[in-house]
Amino acid sequence: MQGDRSRPDRPDRPDRAGRPGRPGERRLRAAGKGGLFGLAAALAVWGLACSNNPYPDADETRAVYYTSISEAPRTLDPAKAYNVTAHAITGNVYDKLLEYHYLKRPYELIPSLAKELPVAEELPDGRVRYRFVLREGLVFAEDPCFELGGEGRKTREILASDVAFQLSRVADPATNSPVVDPFSNIQGFREFGKRLSEAREADAAFAEKPLREQYEAAGGIEGVATPDDLTLEVTLAAAYPQILYWFAMGFTTPVPWEAVEYYDGVSNERFDDHPVGSGPFRISRYDKQSRIVLERNPRWYGAEHPEWRAPGAVYPSEGEPGDAEKGLLDAAGRPLPFIDRIEFRREKESIPLFNKFLQGYYDSSGIIKESFDKVIRDDRLSPEMAAMGVRLDKSISPGVYYLGFNMEDPVLGAEGGDRSRKLRQAISLAVDAQGWIDLFLNGRGVLAQTPVPPGLFGYDPDYQNPARVLDRDRARELLVDAGYPGGIDPETDRPLRITFDTPSTSSAQLLRDQFIADGLREIGLDVQIAATTYNQFQKKVKDGSYQLFFWGWSADYPDPENFYFLLTCDMRQSQGGGPNTANFCDPEFEALFERMRVRGNDEERMEVIREMRALLERERPWVELLHPESYALLHGWLDHVKTFGMSFPMHKYRAIDTEARALARDEWNRPVTWPAYALAAVGVAIVLPGIFTFFRERQ
Amino acid sequence: MLAYMLRRLAYGGLVVLGVLFFLFVLFFAVATPDDIARRALGEKARPEVLEQWKANHGYDRPLWPWQSFDDNLLFDHYRRMLTFDFGNSDADDVPISRRLREGAGASLSLTIPIFVLGGVLGVLLSLFVAFFRETYIDSMGVFLAVLAMSVSILLYIVGAQYLIAKLLRWFPISGFDPDPAVILRFLALPVLVGIVSGVGGDLRFYRTVFVEESSRDYVRTARAKGAGELRVMVAHVLRNGLIPILTRVVVAIPFLFTGSLLLESFFGIPGLGSLTVDAINGNDFATLRVMVFIGALAFVVGQVLTDLSYSLADPRVRLE
Repeated sequence: MQGDRSRPDRPDRPDRAGRPGRPGERRLRAAGKGGLFGLAAALAVWGLACSNNPYPDADETRAVYYTSISEAPRTLDPAKAYNVTAHAITGNVYDKLLEYHYLKRPYELIPSLAKELPVAEELPDGRVRYRFVLREGLVFAEDPCFELGGEGRKTREILASDVAFQLSRVADPATNSPVVDPFSNIQGFREFGKRLSEAREADAAFAEKPLREQYEAAGGIEGVATPDDLTLEVTLAAAYPQILYWFAMGFTTPVPWEAVEYYDGVSNERFDDHPVGSGPFRISRYDKQSRIVLERNPRWYGAEHPEWRAPGAVYPSEGEPGDAEKGLLDAAGRPLPFIDRIEFRREKESIPLFNKFLQGYYDSSGIIKESFDKVIRDDRLSPEMAAMGVRLDKSISPGVYYLGFNMEDPVLGAEGGDRSRKLRQAISLAVDAQGWIDLFLNGRGVLAQTPVPPGLFGYDPDYQNPARVLDRDRARELLVDAGYPGGIDPETDRPLRITFDTPSTSSAQLLRDQFIADGLREIGLDVQIAATTYNQFQKKVKDGSYQLFFWGWSADYPDPENFYFLLTCDMRQSQGGGPNTANFCDPEFEALFERMRVRGNDEERMEVIREMRALLERERPWVELLHPESYALLHGWLDHVKTFGMSFPMHKYRAIDTEARALARDEWNRPVTWPAYALAAVGVAIVLPGIFTFFRERQ
Repeated sequence: MLAYMLRRLAYGGLVVLGVLFFLFVLFFAVATPDDIARRALGEKARPEVLEQWKANHGYDRPLWPWQSFDDNLLFDHYRRMLTFDFGNSDADDVPISRRLREGAGASLSLTIPIFVLGGVLGVLLSLFVAFFRETYIDSMGVFLAVLAMSVSILLYIVGAQYLIAKLLRWFPISGFDPDPAVILRFLALPVLVGIVSGVGGDLRFYRTVFVEESSRDYVRTARAKGAGELRVMVAHVLRNGLIPILTRVVVAIPFLFTGSLLLESFFGIPGLGSLTVDAINGNDFATLRVMVFIGALAFVVGQVLTDLSYSLADPRVRLE
């Protein structure tokens, strides 16, 4: 037995203080000293670590804008990136030929890398050409990839061919870009993709060549030409004025072939993770699971050529009415950007994110539902938040939520003729959208009268859609006219059954759907909610087995065409999987849409829009519900913030009073340490008597 | 012993194969390749883009061998896992081996302190209460241990974030940064929660072991020979109580690499636990199966290591 090997302890010796003691007690005292040492070490570590500041102290007074992302970007390749998170990065790193005016509404395009906005040139055969001329002396941000073009090279001039290269990448089926459709208006766009695929299938060696050579060998896109280094000509097969908006998006940014070749080929580090652009910021750290850092790009044209006073490089001096009063024009004419660095921290959970905002560690935040009542009272900021210097910024997002009818359904759809039309009109009058907004969105939303949201041409604030008032008596009358008196289907003698198909099975969504279904039950209809997952819903849509559905759309670009196209024949879900989930197809609407689509923003276009909305009042393929309203909280030290609505980051316009921020953080975050000492004291006070009693009894 | 180890490993291999099969069945029972593609590409993606994505990622093939024996997802799933060909994430096409390398550091920086500090604290506290057995210190220790065991780790996490991070402002509420200037701040709270949530169970278990050992004959003999209480506890009781402690400790070692699902998720630590949760939420089958595979391997390795540690700690144990 191992215990047998123990020896008796040595005879008693006095301790250091000269006191005799029993060996057990002496060792216990030694252990006690060890324990105290451990406690002291723990307190030292605690003292070192004790700060709730998530950032290094050295950054306290630097002009760093702190913001968060909830998910890691899938890709930063501007030919593929198509969500808010990715755009927050790519929008800062890649400059485009055009961009949006920061303050003006309705939204307005301004030149960025291009010298000026191109004008549509109508060719005799009906084609339309746009000629973009790039500024001279633009260069990419410095990057090791440029060594491919010559030893020691860190950057090079931006050429029109870099935009053409990017357009070829969008057309390339291997890129699998999500926006091939709108660019197919460019002459020969799809054909180029097809040629490329065929050449790759026919010849394996071809597929191994660098992309640039493949694109050249496939003959390029017919409608994209570069007559000289700085001129890009884009020829459309037919008029499509909205193409200019796409030239303000990352899909058309100049991309250096060296970056794709180097990161996807030579270094195998993925171009998806290594953006090389020419924007005001460049990536200095890309740890996408936790922290993404952008810093000023010293080679940005605004920094290298402040004398140009380019519209995208200085703070605007004009805005919409009210901007000056809000202080949004105070920085007019000053060179951009105002901040040195942007830090994106990954925050998966909303509560810690919001708490960090309250501690001053994020400069802005949305409002989490758990804290809504504490933050907002009577639709205004609560006194506590106002005392912290927080501002509330309300803005209407350019999007729309709606209930749609499957127009190919025999009961609700077009083939039911007037009977179905009246049924749709009745349902439209029975939906209480305002109640829904108040109950589920804390009132954050504007009742939608048409598909077009505020801030876009075609939105008429004075228009009240007669089909979108809550009038259940009139709805019941319409049901009588439709042949369903009291909602009773004469064929079955029971309430008419309608399925309400929703793409979410969450209990929160179910409550929202229930509210709408209850409203329809009040006029006698038997509405059954069929809640499925998103993909099961998609499958139902694909099979055409759905009747009434809840859906939404947010703008890609600020033009009514981007909303009314959701109701055009070509976009029918049943025909090619397009976003017209209602499968609405009406020749009269089609003709009006075509006139509206190609027309510039003038009174005639507005008149066409009025005719379109009158048609929709009658036909009711949708029951428009709301345009979402977003509430943002901004700390007092953050300046020049105007919510943009669409997915374009506007960080270069933001400014931070770093001293005010440091003071506030210091005041709000002093650690409260006494509970630690109190807890330790209570622990010791409870345990010590027991220890003494134990030893006394043993003696 | 070698034959025994080989037999255990063979059993373990069967367990891993079974786990891989159940993962495949369960995953595709609730999700389809369309779900995976849709999550990767977003809601606005057109059908042809989805189809192209599925083709690029091999999800256009049938799931089962009876649909196509030569080319099906199940065989491919086994082939990839058994050859450690992990491939790329379905969510963002990043090579999964790279993600594992990146995540392991963050996970270990969380799990190793919890493992070491929690283990040491558990043993020390249980020795302490065992020493003072049958006094109110012992009863209180056991009571607190049972209380600590009974509380869900979620409550610890939320409570600590609210009390320690929000009200007392000692540490950041969440987040991670490997920068040496701030890493301690980020790790302090999750490590504390990890230790507190685990120490109750450890204390109760180890205390039982130590109290049992304390009443053995050899302990009485040691005392009779005049050995001091501290020496009795450390040199005799602790040493002989090591075997059951080892079983509890060694089995946990391989799981240090797989991270902690809840702590990493709630504290925003980009480790392998967080990666697993992201994979589940994002329908990222390619990543999820690798994490499950590694978890299954860790389980098998943990079992074998425990057996080995038995025989090393106690010469009476023979593995045959």
